[in-house]
Amino acid sequence: MYNFAYHRPGSLAEAERKLKAAADGRLLAGGQTLLPTLKQRLAKPSDLIDIGRLAELSFIKADGRSVQIGATTRHATVAASAEVRKAIPALAKLAGGIGDPQVRNMGTIGGSLANSDPAADYPAAVLALGATIHTTERAIAADDFFKGLFETALKPGEIIKSVSFPVPEKAGYMKFAQPASRFCMVGVFVCKAGSGVRVAVTGAGPCAFRQSAMEKALASNFSAAAIESVKVSPAGLNADIHCSAEYRAHLVGVMARRALTEANG
Amino acid sequence: MSARPARYVGQEILRREDDYLLRGEGRFVDDLPAPIGTLHLAFVLSPHAHARILSLDADAALALEGVVAVLSGADMAALVKPIVAEIEFPGYRRHGRQVIAKDEVRFVGEAVAVVAAECPYVAQDAAELVEVAYQQLPAVVRLEDATRPGQPQVHDEVPGNLYFEGRFATPGIDAAFAGAAHVIRERFRSGRVGGVPLEPRGCLAVPEHGDGMVFHSSTQVPHLLRTALAQYTGQPESSLRVLVPEVGGGFGTKAQIYPEEFVCVALARRFRRAVKWIQDRREELLTDIHARDHLYEVEAAVDDTGLVLGLRASVWTNGGAYSTLPFGCTLETTGGARMIVGPYGITQYAYEARAVATHTTPAGAYRGVAQPTCYMAIEGVMDRIARRLGLDPAEVRLRNMVPTASLPWTNVVGVRYDTGSFVESLRQAMAMIDYAGFRARQPADRLVDGKYRGIGICSFTEVSGTGAPGWRARGLVRLPGFDSGIVKVEPTGKVTAFVSHAHSGQGHYTTFAQVVADALGCELADVRIVEGDTAATPYGTNTFASRSAVTGGGAFIRAAGKVREKLRRIGAHMLEASVEDVVVQDGRVHIAGVPGHGLSFQQVAETAYAMNTATLPEGESFGLEDSDFYDPPLVTMANAAHIAQVAVDAEDGRVTIERYVVVHDCGRIINPMIVDGQIQGGVAQGIGEALMEEMVYDDSGQMLNASLLEYLLPTAADVPNYEIAHIESPSIDTVGGFKGVGEGGVIGAVPAVLNAVADALSRLDININTKPLRPSLLARLIREARARPG
Amino acid sequence: MGERIEVTLTVNQRKRRAQVEPRLLLVDYLRHELGLKGTHVGCEQGACGACTVLLDGRTARSCLHFVAALDGAQIRTVEDVAPSPELLHPIQQAFHRQHALQCGYCTPGFVMTTLELLAGNPDPSQTAIRRALTNNLCRCTGYANIVKAVTAAGKALREGSQA
Repeated sequence: MYNFAYHRPGSLAEAERKLKAAADGRLLAGGQTLLPTLKQRLAKPSDLIDIGRLAELSFIKADGRSVQIGATTRHATVAASAEVRKAIPALAKLAGGIGDPQVRNMGTIGGSLANSDPAADYPAAVLALGATIHTTERAIAADDFFKGLFETALKPGEIIKSVSFPVPEKAGYMKFAQPASRFCMVGVFVCKAGSGVRVAVTGAGPCAFRQSAMEKALASNFSAAAIESVKVSPAGLNADIHCSAEYRAHLVGVMARRALTEANG
Repeated sequence: MSARPARYVGQEILRREDDYLLRGEGRFVDDLPAPIGTLHLAFVLSPHAHARILSLDADAALALEGVVAVLSGADMAALVKPIVAEIEFPGYRRHGRQVIAKDEVRFVGEAVAVVAAECPYVAQDAAELVEVAYQQLPAVVRLEDATRPGQPQVHDEVPGNLYFEGRFATPGIDAAFAGAAHVIRERFRSGRVGGVPLEPRGCLAVPEHGDGMVFHSSTQVPHLLRTALAQYTGQPESSLRVLVPEVGGGFGTKAQIYPEEFVCVALARRFRRAVKWIQDRREELLTDIHARDHLYEVEAAVDDTGLVLGLRASVWTNGGAYSTLPFGCTLETTGGARMIVGPYGITQYAYEARAVATHTTPAGAYRGVAQPTCYMAIEGVMDRIARRLGLDPAEVRLRNMVPTASLPWTNVVGVRYDTGSFVESLRQAMAMIDYAGFRARQPADRLVDGKYRGIGICSFTEVSGTGAPGWRARGLVRLPGFDSGIVKVEPTGKVTAFVSHAHSGQGHYTTFAQVVADALGCELADVRIVEGDTAATPYGTNTFASRSAVTGGGAFIRAAGKVREKLRRIGAHMLEASVEDVVVQDGRVHIAGVPGHGLSFQQVAETAYAMNTATLPEGESFGLEDSDFYDPPLVTMANAAHIAQVAVDAEDGRVTIERYVVVHDCGRIINPMIVDGQIQGGVAQGIGEALMEEMVYDDSGQMLNASLLEYLLPTAADVPNYEIAHIESPSIDTVGGFKGVGEGGVIGAVPAVLNAVADALSRLDININTKPLRPSLLARLIREARARPG
Repeated sequence: MGERIEVTLTVNQRKRRAQVEPRLLLVDYLRHELGLKGTHVGCEQGACGACTVLLDGRTARSCLHFVAALDGAQIRTVEDVAPSPELLHPIQQAFHRQHALQCGYCTPGFVMTTLELLAGNPDPSQTAIRRALTNNLCRCTGYANIVKAVTAAGKALREGSQA
């Protein structure tokens, strides 16, 4: 791997200054995606700014209406959190199913969202629950956050501080993990809240997206049966050696129905 | 041997290897201390499947601090002769390989230059800086395309990209088909996979004593490697010592001899410095031999009772870009063609077998070699016969098997099955999995709780312990066949036993000690095994193809028997008894029936080594050691039956293995725990091969999944518990009665899993004739089947 | 650029100070600078788990951590598992008795994963064990005996702690 300058700022403010000062700076949090990328020499950042152990970014706070999770909170911490399990069990389940135990020990929610890997789990929850991403500069609605393959609304130098999730009436998450690697081929998060029904899909497209046809069908009847007839088009979906676009489209329906069964269960 | 009851052979003795491995003290090749001043190698790999090398510019790489040299193919050609697999077989076309490509590259990953630097990071940085200009050429990638007219040629010496073409037919084959009530035809296509041991390859060459060389390599074949290194680099064999450290899994892939090993030795000679190379995972997936890229077109002539009257097989294997030492690229071809008849009494048979050249990674020996795919074919045919005739698949097999009463049996290609239990193994496996009960419970549509349920069988014979005639029959004239052992009672009475093998996880230190202790008549704790060192151990064929129990065990029994006789002679002399009255037992030499009247090994050894005042018998030589070689028969046939029970999710296509039963017969068992371990590991590899593993190439010859994130290996969550039982039919043709077991797991699992899925989906009229069976494939087949009218 | 970073960390209960290049990986530091060769490299990309160590008590892939980022961390490797040169840890004993290793290359990683699993869940179900073991790849054993060993180790540790 190429060499780089390493910084370990003591505060978020210092991290922001370092990131803005660097020629081509990258944030290092859990490193579970960044390190493989660097090792394959697919990226050549000038500076790494390590925010992995900034205490101010690692927290979980819940009131009755929302759950707020700090950007460097580890997946394992979210999965085990009594507050998250009580308020949004589907979110805790999602966090507990990311990758394998080692990825959950090290990976962070902020890192997952900022990277916007098409196969990441969290984007489905963020989008379906209508979460808000709080950064050093602003609050970004989930619907405005994911822009494309490894592309988000984040501007250079902007750092995710936390994510707040409104507590839904019902929610469920189901994914089809690739055998062996456990990568998410397709994950569907369904949510029913006072503001309406939202269905978000990850793994299938360049980035997480909402499935509006299903949302419409579920508005009056939040059940697996209601989406039996919804056709999912393979157009624009990912295809790779393990999984065709047609299969992904098929799995969107299967996983959505299973997620609904779980949400209602 | 059989006259004495075994004390250790047959026992579940815990492994001696475990303590140091569990503490992290196992020393694998990358863990060995490298001398100060060691040069580290990094190879520059071709990004193209087929291209002409126009120029190579190493200036930027050489400018990097710590880089000592960058060598091109032409530079290396002056140091290492082109590698030629010396196969002598009608229909085989020889061709050479430069250890570093000189003018033309023939697969993605082939080395075009090597960097030697003072640190491995610098070597890798420098390899990135070597500028190579290529003229890209069209590539031929698929087996199906290789021999079509107008395709790019891989080698001038291999016209039409046909490495090998062989034919065989019994005189009555056409008549068998002419008179048959039914002819079943099928085409089976197997995806390409690799051994993928957890430890990548590596080597370290250390010059010593002027012209001497110690070569540490993660190899399964130290003796063959040493000869090849001497032959191609000019390093005298007598001043070259190959040492094998712990090896982190081999599975056959490390039984080939690779270009990097020649380069390492040649550069250590050239620079008179130690040279080290450690492979990374991408290189492992791109350059270690691949296997199983096969196509079988099979037709069976069958009577109304399901009896196979004749079999025709057309076997195609993708040999990749080169023949690799020592097996060449035809091992899979000749193996598949010769082994397909398996446990069945098929007497009329014809094959056409072809190995083709393509611009892909060279093919070679991976655990099971041809057998997972030839049984995919024949066991797939057995199931199709059953479906066509409305018979049970198990019944069709039982009707076609060679019954135990007919053994020894020489099969249609001349291979002798001395003993075995084909029928008994299958019947016992059926009982264990409650086959009849499963069939009775299985609903007509096979669907239970949203999942299609099926059961699949593989009954097979397993080639093991091949002797010289067996390799000759397949054209491998430079593959010896024998292995050898030296058994030595030291002056203190402890026993050191040296064997030509080299382990990569098989537990040789434990199992060979069991064999030696019984054969010599000593305590197990007193025996220590030495292997993997060409300076200490006698020559042999080494460790692959399920050989070590048969060949090493046989050699040890012979050598130990000679030492035992010497112990008796000297002991009898010391006890003033006649040799006939003296026995060697439990580490003592004593008067038969009177254990108290005898001598310890140490007392006898002190006489043998002239360390006391006693004299040797008249004419007896000093020392207390002997050696022997053992070349087993043509092949040693083990056999087994595997039955898999699966559930296929009707919606997402995921296959879950719900139960897995094995009844295995490897003759006399040395250590049941280790035998079970071999089977379990092999079954997991077979499940991976059947359901997820595949080296995927695009049409330009790029491998699309050269990382462990994309080449899928089964995890603990993907495999079931295994239910294993044994039948022991000791071989009557081998010394010791042992048969091999290393490959049975993977051989049986691939067809059993495929057949179980096929059974689960049989009511949907889905034809399962390829692997791997990815969820995406099965979900599509199920969707299409359900959408079909009727 | 590439300026050396000073870190202080604890490895196998011993405090270590190091001046490291930012790109130095934990696995290379353990193997090449401390000589702890029981931690192995299998895939370099966080897929195989052969390089698993405990980082502040949790399993971590040492091939995916920069030493520079580990100031103040506690690292435990396989070399610090057995209680003495004569005795093995109950987990190691269970692996031995259940024949849960063959070539032994992946084994240190499995031992570390088992340490973490049993610390958090002393009596895991077979499903929980298999799920936890997805941390690590083994190509030799087919996993069945590893699952048995983890079960047996859990039992031994529970009984040992009651005694």
